[in-house]
Amino acid sequence: MILYNRKSNRGKGIIKKLSGEPYHIINILFAGVIVLVLLYSGFFSPEKDNYPVVCVHEKLTGEPCFSCGLSHSFSLIVRGRIEEAYEWNQYGMRVFLFFIAQLFFRLDFLRLSLKRPENRKQLIVYDSISSGLIFLISFWPFIASIFKGISQLF
Amino acid sequence: MEDVKNNSGQNLGIAALVTAIITFVLAVIPCVGLIAVIPGIISIILASVGLSQAARSNAPRGMLVASLIIGVIASLISVSQVFVAANIAKNSDKWPDEIQNIVKDVQDDVVKDLEDANISIKIESNGEKVEINASTQNKEKEQKLEELEGVNTQENDTLQQKK
Repeated sequence: MILYNRKSNRGKGIIKKLSGEPYHIINILFAGVIVLVLLYSGFFSPEKDNYPVVCVHEKLTGEPCFSCGLSHSFSLIVRGRIEEAYEWNQYGMRVFLFFIAQLFFRLDFLRLSLKRPENRKQLIVYDSISSGLIFLISFWPFIASIFKGISQLF
Repeated sequence: MEDVKNNSGQNLGIAALVTAIITFVLAVIPCVGLIAVIPGIISIILASVGLSQAARSNAPRGMLVASLIIGVIASLISVSQVFVAANIAKNSDKWPDEIQNIVKDVQDDVVKDLEDANISIKIESNGEKVEINASTQNKEKEQKLEELEGVNTQENDTLQQKK
């Protein structure tokens, strides 16, 4: 009974620590979103082709865009069919790696923030810079397509 | 004396920041970029409400300002996906064709409506009234012609046979 109470108090303490700091809540929420993305990739199969997300560009113009086949690519990567994933979308792998890296980042930064609360501000700065850089590297083809679209119209 | 930390608008700040960052990632992906303007607007609203709450109670505003800035940039990126769509359409030449087809359909509809139109002109001068009714309907024209001639027009309209 005493052991149960101790465990219960410890659990409450962790929850209090996690919910007291916005950075912790944000990390947990993003980790949850990334897990949902992975579950989405695992749940919808490339064979059935039952993906709920449709390309707005393809609907409007009738032509596929740079990110078409990304869901297919994710599903194939989750199933270990890497070569097929590249065939569906050549940028699928780098975007998928971004999500995986972010999942590890969220969990690791959360752990570090709980372990060393005195360095939290420094951690947030490191987190923002590193995540921003990884985002730029992973999504660069899509960002470039936006710039290209704007520059060609003017 | 212990400082009392005021957290007014902090929960809204968390919600706004999470929504803004998700919007930012979605806005960059061309397939769903245009739709991302919806969560973008939601994040801006959440941040604005949070900011007003924080301003009233003099609470920290760093996270709220950050989420507002990210939300606005993400929404702008989302809107700029229109240019990507236009670029794709420009390269494919499909969109202009579709627009041309739509214009042609509208033109045909207007011409068809005009063909079936009834025109009525009323002129009133010094107490005299003149009313002219004209119809462009082909069937009515044929009927009037038959009434005037009193016979079948198709048989008599063959001038070569009379010669």
